[in-house]
Amino acid sequence: MSDTEVSGTVTGMVEFTLDGRAVTASEGELLVHAAARHGTFIPTLCHDDKLDPYGGCRMCVVEVEGAPRPLPACATRVTEGMVVSTNGPMTDFRKTLTEMLLSEHLNASPGGRPNELLDLANELGAEAPVVLPDAKRKEYDDRNQLMGYDPDACILCNRCVRYTQEVMQCSALSLEGRGGHARIVPTWELSWLDTECELCGGCLSVCPTGAIYEKFEEGTTRPERSLEQVRTTCTFCGVGCQIDLNLDPQTKHIVKVTSKPEYLPNEGNLCVKGRFAFNFVHHPDRLTQPLVRGEDGDLHPTTWEHALETAATGLQKVIAEHGPQAVGFLSSARLTNEENYLTQKLARAVVGTNSVHSCEST
Amino acid sequence: MGRGASTNSIPEIENARFLFVIGSNTTEAHPVLALRIKKAVRNGATLVVADPRRIWLTKIAKRHLQLRPGTDVWLLNAMMHTILAEGLQDEDYIRELTEDFDAVREIVVRYSPEDAEKVTGVPADAIRATAREYATERHAAVFYTLGITEHACGVDNIWSLSNLVLMTGHLGYESTGLNALRGQNNVQGLNDSGANPMYFPGYQPIEDLEIRRKFSEAWGGAELPETTGYRLDQMMSGLHDGRIRALYLIGENPAQTEPNAHRVEEGLGKLEMLISQDIFLHDMTRKHADVVFPASSFAEKDGTFTNTERRISRVREAAPLPGEAKGDREIVLLMAKALGASWPEYPDAESVWNELADLAPNWYGVRYDRLEENGIQWPVTEIGGEPTRFLHAPRPARAGGRAKFFPVEYQRPIEEPDSEYPLVLSTGRTLYHYNSATMTMRESGITDKQEDPFFEISAEDASALGLGEGELAQLVSRRGVLEARAHITERVYPGLVWMALHFAEQKVNWLTHDVGDSLIGTPEFKVSAVRVEPVGTGVRPAAR
Repeated sequence: MSDTEVSGTVTGMVEFTLDGRAVTASEGELLVHAAARHGTFIPTLCHDDKLDPYGGCRMCVVEVEGAPRPLPACATRVTEGMVVSTNGPMTDFRKTLTEMLLSEHLNASPGGRPNELLDLANELGAEAPVVLPDAKRKEYDDRNQLMGYDPDACILCNRCVRYTQEVMQCSALSLEGRGGHARIVPTWELSWLDTECELCGGCLSVCPTGAIYEKFEEGTTRPERSLEQVRTTCTFCGVGCQIDLNLDPQTKHIVKVTSKPEYLPNEGNLCVKGRFAFNFVHHPDRLTQPLVRGEDGDLHPTTWEHALETAATGLQKVIAEHGPQAVGFLSSARLTNEENYLTQKLARAVVGTNSVHSCEST
Repeated sequence: MGRGASTNSIPEIENARFLFVIGSNTTEAHPVLALRIKKAVRNGATLVVADPRRIWLTKIAKRHLQLRPGTDVWLLNAMMHTILAEGLQDEDYIRELTEDFDAVREIVVRYSPEDAEKVTGVPADAIRATAREYATERHAAVFYTLGITEHACGVDNIWSLSNLVLMTGHLGYESTGLNALRGQNNVQGLNDSGANPMYFPGYQPIEDLEIRRKFSEAWGGAELPETTGYRLDQMMSGLHDGRIRALYLIGENPAQTEPNAHRVEEGLGKLEMLISQDIFLHDMTRKHADVVFPASSFAEKDGTFTNTERRISRVREAAPLPGEAKGDREIVLLMAKALGASWPEYPDAESVWNELADLAPNWYGVRYDRLEENGIQWPVTEIGGEPTRFLHAPRPARAGGRAKFFPVEYQRPIEEPDSEYPLVLSTGRTLYHYNSATMTMRESGITDKQEDPFFEISAEDASALGLGEGELAQLVSRRGVLEARAHITERVYPGLVWMALHFAEQKVNWLTHDVGDSLIGTPEFKVSAVRVEPVGTGVRPAAR
């Protein structure tokens, strides 16, 4: 059975006109998606495919024949015979809108995250005509160490709030105030640690301007786009989220963890551990030398050669005196498939026991 | 059914119309997978949660079946009773694709919902309604995890679930099935790769002579042991009776993660040789390890992990190893050499993978060139073959193409509350930590949320003990004592306390008993008897 049958709607195709070209779309497809499939990129700021259509920022407005006013492509579904123009006077409108946003956008990216508004301004050649007087919004500090928010970088697109409501389905953030005083706050202005927030960082992952950011990257001199990304699989639970480790190119230390919507199975979503629990990798407590217990009963640093020899001699003695069945191996879900394979091969083919198991054997 | 893995895929969850989550605190243990469950419910699907605790998912569930720990078999048999009484079973599926159904029919007739209510605490009508909804919705999917398996009757619980799924034919197509959510990143893979006393890689039984011959040939003619190895629980008991004299631990700390941990630690102290290959030293290795190899974290190595939906994904080396630490592959190779083996070079992870894939038919078609993007799901039996999104299609994978029913009778938990130890203790995990928490306790941004050992207790029990929120109390079982702060919450009902295993300084496994499942040895972490004694030395916020 196909997905469409599951959701109870049988989709047909419709024809419509896009900038003078006759093209097709699935019935009910969002205009912004249909246009993209046909090579026409309509800029958006408040839109996110994870979230319900919203149509808040008006950046994606297009002209539709017969409609009384321009329509947002991110919240308009294609219908049969629709005639759409994306490149007429609306281009100027987008530039004006961008300039208005820039005039209140006092801080480009407080934590080094990419800024889609500046990208768009670049593309459209838009610059802030003036910086509005009293544009500065009320700041707040929070005792959580993971996520920061700068109202002066925020364009009030509400993506973060909608993510908490629609995807996480929790009450963590809300939009407070109006006009020049509007800003995003944790629910009831509590600390992020005291709301229903689970510190997943989904809000910062959907923020288009970097107004919500990794707090430990505040004031960074190495913006995200200058970092090296290595795609890998998260080391925590069995979901196997796909992540990008973002590395400082010089030190090769992990600076932050991100993900992308096209990654399966997580579609760019992460949890608190996947996004923020990476500092253990570079922790000073990491073991850096082999250790062997000495005659004094304590563990002492030693060479690999000596450690391997001590381990091998110890195992050989047990095998000689009690047989290979007296040796057990506990392998680990921390290990890769390849490492687990080699471990069971070591147990079976070298030591001679099938006693290889793990604490995750349930 | 014939496979040890989730039957269906994670992306399919959001198209399920009925979701039965039993013994899985999904939003904390598998938070990102839980987003798909949330989405399904938002799209109008019905969710029923069966769990002794009022976990987060109960907020969006149509119904919460708050059963007493260890009574799952009663609940499930009563659901099957209802399905049969109302004729909602899938007779065609049962006839064509299964065997031994009559044995189940004979047993479940004795498990009426009214009697089930007395044992489980779940109202009979709620059991009936859930059975009806599940049986009559085609896209009905079951999700379970350690709340089902971590019992002395863990295998019985899984068989019960399997019986329920088979009798309704909810298997072998999209957005349905029986889905075991694997707890750790590579639990699926470590079992697939043969870290198991009964199976070579790919679940090929060690007692099969042909299979042994195949592996021996591939491994340079090595003589391979014929006897089944010890399981983890047998190794732990073997520490005491001298069957186990040496232990090689890789990234494991059984003195925290295994039940009756004082006794485990005592046993570890008797070893002649304890080797630990790990990224951190912890209290147990500091005391008992003879040799410690500094190993690699996930960020420092190449290879693959296999997730709960059988998806094999690449792990890629990103960061340099600290100091003289080495990759786990290299350490195992050095050990093999030190023990006199002459193995192939294995210059990279891929060369190891290829050996595994050549030897394990269901993995044969999985090669690194197909893992660059989103990985693929086994089985893939041919090079270039299609990955498998859902199992048991068009027929169950078991030999003969028929799945087998296993009738199950209820057995009581090993240790039930009494006058001396009047409360049931159940254990588990929280969102903010990971197992023994050697990694997550080192993240101050996360421990801000949860640092101190705490336990959950109902307002009724707390008030009877004169225990206030955040106050320190002792939890006492027949095997040990610990101190933790009380978190008074409606998540647990009167008579039940709950604690996470993450706290190294107050290990909940000091308290748990070590009588596991008689077939596979999985410990009964979910039911031990304890008493709570207030300590009365001031208040700190406990947990959220």
